[in-house]
Amino acid sequence: MSETYDRLVELLVDRFEVDRSEIGPDTKFEELDMDSLFLVELLLVIQSEFKVAIGEDAATPGDTVAAVAGLIEDRLPASSPSAAAASATAERS
Amino acid sequence: MTAPPPSRPSPDRAAVLTGVGGCLPPTAVSNDELSVRLDSSDAWIRSRTGIRQRYFAAPGTATSDLAVGAGAKALKSSGTPVVDAVLLATTTPDRPCPATAPVVAARLGLTGTAAFDVSAVCTGFVYALATAAGLIATGAADRVLVIGAETFSTLLDPDDRATSVIFGDGAGAVVLRAGEPAEPGALGPFDLGSDGGREDLITVPAGGSRQRLSGRSPTPAERYFTMDGKEVFRHAVQRMSASARAVLDRAGWTPADVDHLVGHQANLRITNHVADEVGVPRPRCFSNIADVGNTAAASIPLALDQAHADGVLRAGDRVLLTAFGGGLTWGSTVLTWPRLDHI
Repeated sequence: MSETYDRLVELLVDRFEVDRSEIGPDTKFEELDMDSLFLVELLLVIQSEFKVAIGEDAATPGDTVAAVAGLIEDRLPASSPSAAAASATAERS
Repeated sequence: MTAPPPSRPSPDRAAVLTGVGGCLPPTAVSNDELSVRLDSSDAWIRSRTGIRQRYFAAPGTATSDLAVGAGAKALKSSGTPVVDAVLLATTTPDRPCPATAPVVAARLGLTGTAAFDVSAVCTGFVYALATAAGLIATGAADRVLVIGAETFSTLLDPDDRATSVIFGDGAGAVVLRAGEPAEPGALGPFDLGSDGGREDLITVPAGGSRQRLSGRSPTPAERYFTMDGKEVFRHAVQRMSASARAVLDRAGWTPADVDHLVGHQANLRITNHVADEVGVPRPRCFSNIADVGNTAAASIPLALDQAHADGVLRAGDRVLLTAFGGGLTWGSTVLTWPRLDHI
């Protein structure tokens, strides 16, 4: 799988304390007991870590981990992710 | 839109924390007890909120009763039972009119002192701290009792699973005295903000002039507290994180300087997320939400009282306070924990 997928898995393990062995590309978030509120939190983490904004309506608990990784990749700029991170600024900076 | 940074605080007179106290009603209500009515479960509530139990005041109790309990303990902790002003942060005053602070002051034997309520929902205590610091900085007061007290259960729809498992009743208080900016316990700087454009996210629709002048009677549901959980989660994380970063910057602290992040106990997942965003390790994020739930304006002083009683907050520890609430409102401040007696 892609680097984005791998980073997403790391976030699920580190920030959401999901058991790594339960996560696969075709795993749905609801199968990880992640409901719509968890998804709000995940999208915030994705915004912070990947510097990409995904609308709340774009993802549901029925989506797979690989599908959300694809949403992130669709929104990443053509340059490298690290360059995107360096150019992003916080709302109140 | 970003507000211009406030001017530098007065360098010679700071508000110094010199006492702390808390008060909970006697009855704890477990998740299992609530789950019977709500088609919920202990596991569901814990995994989504971190809450194990909360306290509900019994009939016959009012916010002022809890405020007096916490205020009396804070005054005792401070070693001196006299103040020049009493500020009460609350969402649930005893009545719409008058404010609850004067009767709290009178019952504490403080008749004659300035006394008023501060209304900023869950941010109320931080707003009240800033107001008290202003009273001290201007010389209007030398000692101020700041209380956060709620009987939030009075606003809850018992059939609303989204709110009735989260909130609880309680009160916490601190005593502030005039002192030097560099001494332990000195509060500040502060970061405060609001966004009334999203007042709809956290609201009790009925009971105020908007509803009374609408020409129609309120529905029963409009008398209850409502909250858009998802939007509130998002705003709470973003506003508290930005406010905490702003106040650290003004204080000249880095996230690594923070020994304890004491955030508004909204939801364990929110406070953990804020800690991650600010860069404070989660183990430094104090939480008592498992035992008391979200007590709105009372949550930060109750957490400070618990952390002090448990020996988590020790003299010299650097503490970051941050809160978010209806309004929308948010605010943060910092202090170095002073040496306080355990009473």
